[in-house]
Amino acid sequence: MLIRTQDLWKIYEMGREKVNALREVSLEIEKGEYAAIMGPSGSGKSTLMNLIGCLDTPTKGDYYLNDKLVSQMNDDELARIRNKEIGFVFQTFNLLARATAAHNVELPLVYNGTESEVRKRKAREALKMVDLEDRATHKPNELSGGERQRVALARALVNNPALILADEPTGNLDTKTGHEIMNIFKKLHRQGNTLIIVTHEHDIATYADRIIYIRDGAIEKEERKKN
Amino acid sequence: MNLLEGIFIALRSLATNKLRSILTLIGVIIGVMTVIAITSIIAGMNKYVADQLSAVGSDTFFIDKWGLIMSDDEWWEALKRKSITLEDMEAIGENCTYCDKVGASADTRRRVKRTGDHLEDVRISGVTANLIDIIDIKLEEGEGRYISKFEEEHNRAAAFVGWEIKDKLFPSVDPVGKEIKIGNQEFKIVGVAQKRGSFLGQSRDNFVHVPITAFFKHFGRRRYGRQLSVEIIVKAESFESINEAMDESRAILRARRRVPYDKKDDFGIMTAETLMDLYRQFTSTAYLTMIGISSIALVVGGIVIMNIMLVSVTQRTREIGIRKALGARKRDVLWQFLVESVTLALVGGIVGILLGLGTGKIVAMNSPLPASVDPLWIAIGLFLATSVGLAFGVYPAVKAARLDPIEALRYE
Ligand SMILES: Nc1ncnc2c1ncn2[C@@H]1O[C@H](COP(=O)(O)OP(=O)(O)OP(=O)(O)O)[C@@H](O)[C@H]1O
Ligand SMILES: [Mg+2]
Repeated sequence: MLIRTQDLWKIYEMGREKVNALREVSLEIEKGEYAAIMGPSGSGKSTLMNLIGCLDTPTKGDYYLNDKLVSQMNDDELARIRNKEIGFVFQTFNLLARATAAHNVELPLVYNGTESEVRKRKAREALKMVDLEDRATHKPNELSGGERQRVALARALVNNPALILADEPTGNLDTKTGHEIMNIFKKLHRQGNTLIIVTHEHDIATYADRIIYIRDGAIEKEERKKN
Repeated sequence: MNLLEGIFIALRSLATNKLRSILTLIGVIIGVMTVIAITSIIAGMNKYVADQLSAVGSDTFFIDKWGLIMSDDEWWEALKRKSITLEDMEAIGENCTYCDKVGASADTRRRVKRTGDHLEDVRISGVTANLIDIIDIKLEEGEGRYISKFEEEHNRAAAFVGWEIKDKLFPSVDPVGKEIKIGNQEFKIVGVAQKRGSFLGQSRDNFVHVPITAFFKHFGRRRYGRQLSVEIIVKAESFESINEAMDESRAILRARRRVPYDKKDDFGIMTAETLMDLYRQFTSTAYLTMIGISSIALVVGGIVIMNIMLVSVTQRTREIGIRKALGARKRDVLWQFLVESVTLALVGGIVGILLGLGTGKIVAMNSPLPASVDPLWIAIGLFLATSVGLAFGVYPAVKAARLDPIEALRYE
């Protein structure tokens, strides 16, 4: 089992008021799975993704990634997991504006001390995976939205992570470009990557083998594609 | 790579806004420049003063009415003292066993004229002929001789002139044997001194030496209603006996001037060493001033850098979030911002060093001070700049490192 969460809680305290962003979320995802998370706005999808992506720690409950108890790790260990095991794709791309596409893709490698030569080669390979070799020296503002998201995808997979997470990766793209991105995800899945994406759109969710619905911070139901 | 990137980011942010960069770095620039300029000027002065004082010799001392005056009170007290006379000089010459040669001089300022041309405000010294044996007076080669004993004894109107007198009044003729008018009196030039250059903008070549007897005769024995006081210059038998020579001279003068045994000397005795002490006091004041100015400038510069870095951290909150999401640890972010602030400060330091060296050069060109820079001070300048960058960069860098990745990513 790649991911196992047990009764995860995330409670935000806003003065005297408490927001239960996640309530007793227990979830298992196997290696090689492709899962989509759906739910209304404010239901806790991003909160769950941030926990799975080790950007945040739960208020209560345990989270095992690759059988390691992540929910008890310190900042440096979490940074290491984010770097090695997880590739994140955001709705707003989150590229460094001043850096070229190639440099953006190299960034995760910078933080695990990969040599410059190796970094350049791996970045080139990752850009090739998303069909953007010819845009390597472009800055983000010289790229279209779809191209930016492809750079972000290349960055997410450059370190060959155990898990690729995407929080509304098509949210800022038109339908056509969104489907192009989803086709790349499909390709990555076929190559054996484990993917979890958050989306509002049913169209997009159907790319996945498994759809997890959440509401008010709790898992409501699940659907599996039969084949 | 990370290091290079940090340096690059800092340089690029400097280049994009040049005016702001200058304002940002001005404190560090001034701080480091002060250190380099003052130390190079002092190093130059050290060499110069050592040269000058070596002309005096460590076996020579001076006696005058004033001594080293350090305050107004001392000045008012010295003003009331009896003058020192040629008779005092003779008494020392006769009675001081450790003294080898005893001479005297007295000063005034006069206009010096040659048909048509003239120089204002030239320093005229009445001297004893043996002065050339006591202090180092260099003759211009082939340009005559110093004042003679005969001329001293017979009040002759002979003049030994500084290099500038020859240069300005006799540009194309040999001045030796020619007449010049000092005040209203004709003097015959007997010799010319070697060029000595200028010091702190003052020419040291516009002087005339005349026999002290002729000096009294033509320029008077009295000044402001008092007898003119002379300076006695003594060369001891040897360097080892200078203290005995000074003690003897002091005893002779105290007796002649009837100073009660429980009172201080009413005259001053100075050696090259006391002048050196005075100079050292001056340089230590200069060093203290330097430390004062440069530390204020560096602290102000540091605070400005800290502010710029805080602004930079805020503007780049999202970037910090992205880096953290991709696996940057706290210390990675900390380093990134420290490298940036140190780079900023170092650029200021380098500019400060260049300006300091320039200031030293300008001083060297306009004075005989051979402004020399000890590489040690350049290293210290760089070290100071680096320390300022580190010390004032820590707070913004820690702030950046502590940012929560999710909040940073959400920052607009
Ligand atoms: N830092 C925070 N402080 C307080 N409350 C928060 C914080 N982050 C999220 N929440 C709350 O937690 C709940 C879940 O938020 P979350 O961002 O996970 O929703 P979401 O399902 O991703 O919504 P959307 O589809 O709009 O992105 C919301 O009610 C939100 O207001
Ligand atoms: Mg969300």
